[in-house]
Amino acid sequence: MGVYVHIPFCARKCHYCDFHSIVVGEADFPGLVDSYLVSLRREALYYRKLWANGPLDSLFFGGGTPTLIPPEKLAQLIAFLLAELPFTSDPEVTIEANPQSVTPQGAELLAGAGVNRVSLGAQAFQNELLTAIGRLHRAEDIGASVRSLRSAGIREINLDLMFGLPGQDLAHWRATLEAALALEPTHLSCYALILEPGTPLASWHEQGLVELPGEDEQADMYQLAREVLQGAGYEHYEISNFCLPGHRCRHNLLYWHNLPFIGLGSGATGYLGGCRYQNAPDVEGYIRSWAEGKPPYLTWEEVGRDQEMDETMMVGMRLLEGVSEAEFRRRFQVSLREVYGEAVEQLLQQGLAEEKDGRLRVTELGLFLENRVSAAFLR
Amino acid sequence: MVQKNIRNFCIIAHIDHGKSTLADRILEATEAVSKREMTEQVLDSMELERERGITIKLKAVRLIYRAQDGEEYILNLIDTPGHVDFSYEVSRSLAACEGALLVVDASQGVEAQTLANLYLALEHDLEIIPVINKIDLPNADPERVKRELEDVGLSAEEAVLVSARTGQGIDQVLQAIVERIPPPRGDAAAPTRAMIFDSHYDQYRGAVAYARVVDGTIKLGDTIQMMSTGRQFEVTELGVLQPGFRPVQALGPGEVGCIMASMKDVRDTRVGDTITTAHNPAAEPLPGYRPAKPMVYCGLYPVVNEEYTLLRDALDKLQLNDAALTYEAESSAALGFGYRCGFLGLLHMEIVQERLEREFDLNLITTAPSVVYRVVLKDGTVKEIDNPTALPPMTHVEHIEEPFVRATVLVPDEFIGAVMEVCQERRGTFITMEYITPERARLEYDLPLAEILMDFFDRLKSRTKGYASLDYEFIGYRQSDVVKLDILLNGNPVDALSIIVHRDKAMARGRALAEKLKEVIPRQQFEVPIQAAIGSKIIARETVRALRKDVLAKCYGGDVSRKRKLLEKQKEGKKRMKSLGNVEVPQEAFMAILKVD
Repeated sequence: MGVYVHIPFCARKCHYCDFHSIVVGEADFPGLVDSYLVSLRREALYYRKLWANGPLDSLFFGGGTPTLIPPEKLAQLIAFLLAELPFTSDPEVTIEANPQSVTPQGAELLAGAGVNRVSLGAQAFQNELLTAIGRLHRAEDIGASVRSLRSAGIREINLDLMFGLPGQDLAHWRATLEAALALEPTHLSCYALILEPGTPLASWHEQGLVELPGEDEQADMYQLAREVLQGAGYEHYEISNFCLPGHRCRHNLLYWHNLPFIGLGSGATGYLGGCRYQNAPDVEGYIRSWAEGKPPYLTWEEVGRDQEMDETMMVGMRLLEGVSEAEFRRRFQVSLREVYGEAVEQLLQQGLAEEKDGRLRVTELGLFLENRVSAAFLR
Repeated sequence: MVQKNIRNFCIIAHIDHGKSTLADRILEATEAVSKREMTEQVLDSMELERERGITIKLKAVRLIYRAQDGEEYILNLIDTPGHVDFSYEVSRSLAACEGALLVVDASQGVEAQTLANLYLALEHDLEIIPVINKIDLPNADPERVKRELEDVGLSAEEAVLVSARTGQGIDQVLQAIVERIPPPRGDAAAPTRAMIFDSHYDQYRGAVAYARVVDGTIKLGDTIQMMSTGRQFEVTELGVLQPGFRPVQALGPGEVGCIMASMKDVRDTRVGDTITTAHNPAAEPLPGYRPAKPMVYCGLYPVVNEEYTLLRDALDKLQLNDAALTYEAESSAALGFGYRCGFLGLLHMEIVQERLEREFDLNLITTAPSVVYRVVLKDGTVKEIDNPTALPPMTHVEHIEEPFVRATVLVPDEFIGAVMEVCQERRGTFITMEYITPERARLEYDLPLAEILMDFFDRLKSRTKGYASLDYEFIGYRQSDVVKLDILLNGNPVDALSIIVHRDKAMARGRALAEKLKEVIPRQQFEVPIQAAIGSKIIARETVRALRKDVLAKCYGGDVSRKRKLLEKQKEGKKRMKSLGNVEVPQEAFMAILKVD
């Protein structure tokens, strides 16, 4: 179980991004950003009282761009959270970073503060593709960042890569995969570009200004990622995630196992005590709300047993190892087949899922059509 | 009121030439008198309104008008439907009148429906008062319109120039109605005969008949008899619309009103039928009645089989108010249980479909509309086929006949070529062409009704920059070389996608239909071949390639709710599709044939 901290600040918004973040400049430090960091502490103390789900073993900073916060301030925040919340003695502490924002000194400070895993938003190794999606870094920044992190002693390094980008072809993608492998990361995430309504890229696409690889080409890219990365000894363990054996991301696993976590920050989601909440994506509102000691919920829902089962299957089937039938029975005191007999039968028949070693999991076909598998468990 | 002071009239016009605005102005101009009349009646009618809430539609409005001669006249304005699907209903409304206002737009001039309505009115010996409307518009050209009226045999001198928008000329129109339209001639002493020209269903009173009394009198409490069926009912309420409902004791010759007699649905009050009295029945009905005969059929199926009984209940309810709607249960191998429904035309079909979906919240699949084919078998028997799947094996068939219509198209002369092309593409036979003015031509073509159903009017409009106007009437059956075109999905024939087409068109339609289906059928988990076939011969083939990727490979992290919503939305979309075997087919696929050419 773990803690997610959302840092909703960016130096610039990428063209495809619909995650909650606001663009901040020098002028916003210390004012807005410092107040935000104070609010995060208040929120952490609020949930410390409510948390009753056992020890925490992961802490994840996502964004936005967490590394936009000066490293010494981040270090203070991490130290505070590790001290005040019931963490185990060796938690996984991950921070998302953009390649241009990682400096050798910054890396040292982060490592000193307890960060042991960094997820770099590399996305692609072709500058024209990076420009097309509005990234600020250059391809050469990626290697430099990885080296800085390594020399600071950070061993767990993930590279985020994207496929289906405007102007990207299979050759670009192969080159990206190979360049990434050359940096020997312990973990790789391969995400498909999804056009989200309201983003610049979506509106350009609608106006016919950008062309994107077609559905078949995207499938080919996904297939290629599997071949290249598995060939290099990486395990494909979740739809979008690959790692060297023994280097799975502890934090993301807790999502896929549908376990409780505390979410801190503007726009963050959390799941504890049988309830899911989402904070309003509004930085100033968030600060005001915690100044009064109130959680700034946008939504709050109790998750009933049926919904918990559905969601456990929905996210669990994203893992290639699937869902353990014994684990399901232990958690819900009922067999998976009893609840989802018909859906499972259909998935088996359609060749989208298979049963092996007491686990229900996707087949190769089901992997490519995973929405159908997950949707089958929604009642 | 004495018969000589009654005038029964209607307003006829091409669409958008200002018929309803003119009607509104006429109502307003006569309102003062009507209002005084109404207040006298308020006490009588209030109780009725309080009790049940009146839902009477203004099918016929009684107006009181004090003419220049100082006398009061009753002007009955009878409404006419405005679409070619309902031409029979129009003819019955005209038959209830002695005169008609023919409204022509001062800038558009005479159009196809102007003419069609004019000829229909002349057939009923109506006095025609030409009304040139919208004379206040800058592009009005009343002189040109007058010439066009002369060209079609009307007296331009008698035309009244009005602007229904500003009210200019309305008094002259009312005066012309009184002076030029003859009073009704009917025999008060003869056995009662009244013609039903409209009806509707009221949930408290049952069917309400709108009728014009020709001879004799209908009184409250009378036992009336419908001459087409012999069914008898006791008159419980009689009234006129002024425009509020005003009860009356009796309706005499020449009068127009509504009759309620505990009739359970509108099939008891068929448009065109003659009402007589049981105690002194008329020997002969009034001429011109024919039962409503559907011209177009389609299958209606619930997307979810469980909604079948809901669909049946909804059709039962709609039929109470729509005598022209017919339906009978049928089943399709592909779609399960549904109903074969008959309609007067495409518009009627769309109205019914929309009401079923909107008012009854049903999710329906509509199969492609079909006309009724007459199949003459080798043994000499004749079968009427309204569903392509019912076509007997061709080895048993001597020949097939299909319904034809005579279409009249009015168009500026620069588009004559385009109209001819469209009609010829649609298997039309040229009948005649004449210039009604130096710039405007009138073309007549005989066309198979089936071709009119296929988006004909839209096509005609688009090829003539919107200038062509169309009217048509059924003229009978003609022998035709038609064949059944089948569609196979994944190798299995889908009966609901079969159509009957002319042999010369089969190849092209089959290819176009297969292409269209490829567009509308989403990619599935496996490849889906689409084939078009005539008998065992495949004439076209397309393939919907297998879906290769359907996965949220994006980092939504712990946002489980968002993931869930995305998947639920996707699932919802799938529910609106019909699963045929293992192929998911969206509703629009069954209407795809209407979108090809």
